[in-house]
Amino acid sequence: MTASFAGVPCLAVAFPATGLAYNTLVVLVAVATVGCAGGVVGTLALLRKRPLLGDAAAHATLVGAAAIVLLTGRRDLPTLLTGAAASSFAALCLLALIRRCTRTRDDAATAILIGVSFGAGVSVVTWMMARGLPGSGTIEQLLLGHAAAVTARDATLLAAVALATVLVVAATLKETVAVAFDAAFAAAGGWPVGLIDNAVTALVVLMVVVGLPTAGGVLVSALLVIPPVAARQWTERVGPLLVLAGLVGLASAVLGVLASIAWPGLPTGPAVVLSAALICLVSILGAPGRGLVARRWRERELVRRWAAGRLTEEGLALERGLHEPWGLAAGPSITVPESRRP
Amino acid sequence: MMPQPSPPIVEFHDVTVAYGGRPVLWNVDLAIEQACLFGVIGPNGAGKSTLLKAALGLVPVVGGYVRFFGTSLSRVRGRVGYVPQRETVDWDFPVNVMDVVLMGTYGRLGWLARPGRRERALALECLDRVGLADVATRQIGRLSGGQQQRVFLARALAQQADVYLFDEPLAGVDARSQERIFGVLAALRDAGRLVIVVHHDLRMAVAWFDRVALLDMRLVAAGPTQEVLTPEHLRRAYAGRVELLDELGRAVAERGRTA
Amino acid sequence: MNEAAGWMLPDAGHLAFHAWSMATAAAFSAACALVGSFLVVRRMSLLGDAIAHAVLPGIAIGALAGGQLGGPLVIGGAVAAALLTAWSTRLLRTAAGLAEDAGAGVVFTTMFAAGVVIVTLAAARVDLDPECVLFGSLELVAFDLMSIGRLMMPRATVSAVAMLALVAVAIGATWRWQVFTAFDTPAACVVGVPVAAVTALLLTATAVATVGGFEAVGAVLVVSMLVVPAAAAELLVHRMHRVVAVAIALAVVAACLGWLAAWACNTNAAGMIAVVLGGMYGLAALVAPVDGVLPRAAAGINLAWRVAREDWLAQIWRAQEELGGGRAVPRPMPRSLLERAAVWWLWLVGQVEDRGGLVRLSVAGRREAETVVRSHRLWEAWLGRHADLPLDHLHPPAEWVEHHLGAAVRQRIEAEMAGGPDPHGREIPPESG
Repeated sequence: MTASFAGVPCLAVAFPATGLAYNTLVVLVAVATVGCAGGVVGTLALLRKRPLLGDAAAHATLVGAAAIVLLTGRRDLPTLLTGAAASSFAALCLLALIRRCTRTRDDAATAILIGVSFGAGVSVVTWMMARGLPGSGTIEQLLLGHAAAVTARDATLLAAVALATVLVVAATLKETVAVAFDAAFAAAGGWPVGLIDNAVTALVVLMVVVGLPTAGGVLVSALLVIPPVAARQWTERVGPLLVLAGLVGLASAVLGVLASIAWPGLPTGPAVVLSAALICLVSILGAPGRGLVARRWRERELVRRWAAGRLTEEGLALERGLHEPWGLAAGPSITVPESRRP
Repeated sequence: MMPQPSPPIVEFHDVTVAYGGRPVLWNVDLAIEQACLFGVIGPNGAGKSTLLKAALGLVPVVGGYVRFFGTSLSRVRGRVGYVPQRETVDWDFPVNVMDVVLMGTYGRLGWLARPGRRERALALECLDRVGLADVATRQIGRLSGGQQQRVFLARALAQQADVYLFDEPLAGVDARSQERIFGVLAALRDAGRLVIVVHHDLRMAVAWFDRVALLDMRLVAAGPTQEVLTPEHLRRAYAGRVELLDELGRAVAERGRTA
Repeated sequence: MNEAAGWMLPDAGHLAFHAWSMATAAAFSAACALVGSFLVVRRMSLLGDAIAHAVLPGIAIGALAGGQLGGPLVIGGAVAAALLTAWSTRLLRTAAGLAEDAGAGVVFTTMFAAGVVIVTLAAARVDLDPECVLFGSLELVAFDLMSIGRLMMPRATVSAVAMLALVAVAIGATWRWQVFTAFDTPAACVVGVPVAAVTALLLTATAVATVGGFEAVGAVLVVSMLVVPAAAAELLVHRMHRVVAVAIALAVVAACLGWLAAWACNTNAAGMIAVVLGGMYGLAALVAPVDGVLPRAAAGINLAWRVAREDWLAQIWRAQEELGGGRAVPRPMPRSLLERAAVWWLWLVGQVEDRGGLVRLSVAGRREAETVVRSHRLWEAWLGRHADLPLDHLHPPAEWVEHHLGAAVRQRIEAEMAGGPDPHGREIPPESG
């Protein structure tokens, strides 16, 4: 309780203070770019019905980051991220292989990859720490993220990669959306569905890896799932969805960073995730059209019109169907009380 | 010298298709020479949809080959349009009717190009032909089943192909949409296109199709509708003889695994 | 640490340390494998993943409230968090039209973030080491003893065994319902099985199993213990009780091996257990009978080998038939390495006699060749009657099917054809031996 009250003056002090302000700015830029690009790329994964791709990739980064430190002895950010990217891409390829060669179902295969690759990572890192090898501390920071340690150079690198990612997404939007909507039609039209899928996977891996230093491996996957889900509540078109998801990611990044400044001890990564979750909750409840509140209200209105005799039974069913594309059974159905029936 | 006969529009040569090592379609040999409304008829599990998917290279062909215009599909993709079954896509996908129809033009556009004014005009025209111009901006989930099927039809029209392959376009569609869809298919035929339709209802087949192929894990008969849909052929397609092929299919899959 | 383990003989102290650690890990893994089997079969693996992540805030709040990392408050918090996860995932599906995996993704990342925040903020106030909660420290359990009667046992072992017993009783008591619901939920619902309650019980059991050893194994690594043994068992056996038994066995073995490997390499035990489990799964995928990668590859090679042999025999048989009178024919040229090997093999086993470039079939070779040719011609005859195929298109399919036609199918076709020659007017050899 006291912390939250203390936060307000703390925030006020933080910005004018020159040294702190610069660092804060760097962190803010880094986290915001990750949030924004994460939202955009996550939307592609969500549309392709593989929302947990990012989660699997995130868990698999640890072992690669550790391995590359062991092999090369270097522990600067680019090296670490190269290793992380390599291992998570390998893990996702392994996932595809398991899907193709065994009877194991998709969900179990994903869970296996998450658990085993993360276990391997934890083992290697612990082993390195026990030996007192240099670099193990840095790797561990990647797990939960350590936004405060991000330097201006890192932030520039992140921003560049994020920008490139967003540009690639924008350039190939037509192809990825066509494949995500109707893979059979796209394949029949001669588009290389497998290649496009792999490209989306590669983008997800890239985003996860880029997000590691700020949000941490375990939580960056949240930035790939939550903003797209929140944005989906507000729009019915892919273009606006991508922009909105980016904005939600950006907003939650800014909110999270500010919160972690205002509330000393609050880790930045989780704070960003919780901000995103808050935005998501608000969207699911309050968005016009798809939001829970709006739908309840609309349903009530329909039933009222029907009860007043201004809407036929068929009309009621039709209207309901038009606004609940995912099926009536899923919606909160309101039964009409006997007394109000016409 | 005899003039060189033009190759058939679609030719299935001894096509055998297997899922997971188990053949589901045996040795189909079929050539369609002229533009017409061609129905692919057969009982459940006869491999009707599989035939279309095999033609399009969506499922691997284990024996034989399929040719379009005497050459392989990859050379003439632009001339072949496909309409998958309606249930195969997620209708809650965030695209509107116009976006879906525009996807029909993507094949011609190639990589990186964006649909421009010409494509939009074409898409709108195609929507008009299926009677959906007034819902162009609606999200695809907010349409009735028949309307959704017509969106798919419009997308195929936007492909401007010479051969169209329809997978159950009339399943779960209201009577009005059925009439409308059939009208568009007939218009395509009259414009000199070959329209191949997978269909499960025999009664409509007699009224609608110029030629049909009767399928039941193998080709029972093919040709003009009246000649194919004879009691003898129907008995052979719909009576229980599929058992043997079924059993053999299982044996093949089993031997491939444990032999 | 010596005084902690001092109740035993000094020599045995080392042994007891390993025994307690392994027992804890094994009990915990077994409980996870038991519930995990049902999660995997019901395609709820990702919900298991979600619960494993999402119990973190429940545990943290429970520990904060109770002032210790254990006890009913922690378990209650974990169960509440697990049920909250399952319930909100479901709500996201029904209320926002979100797919199950996307919903789980949203919920558990949020819960996990909340957990990390609580653990970090509370670390100062209560003995809640974030690292320990996330990654576990199995090597410490043997030093935190409690007395049960006159026996001193590690607290974590007691807790893990208790949770295992609880979960086993819960699943065992509802076994039939669990299996029925897992196999066919709508049918179970129609028959009157309380499907919702059965599912809730499974989820609660998952939370309980998860909580039983999170301090030893860590919240994040529980995923592998829930899903991997069951997924491996599913590849190996096909009936539910066997899947559960094999999963538990694999989990226990992996726990012991993982612990020993971790001890030898001086690293995190939970991580090593996950790695061992992963290795087991990979091995199962490779060698699983029938469906494994290797048996399938072997079957493919075997088939190719048989086809090459049979084709060769049939080729000679046809040449001999044309010549008449069982006379030797000029040896055909083998076209591939496999065929060359087949020719050599057939000569070696005496099915083909080779005299200076002239070959002929022995009695045994003749018998096998006749079966192949018989299959071939029967199939041509069947296709000729039933499929709309031109005469010259009958040979290629028969060339392939001849290797697959079993005796039973051959007999059925022959009965249908009622004797007579094949469509090309050649005689169909009779069924031999």
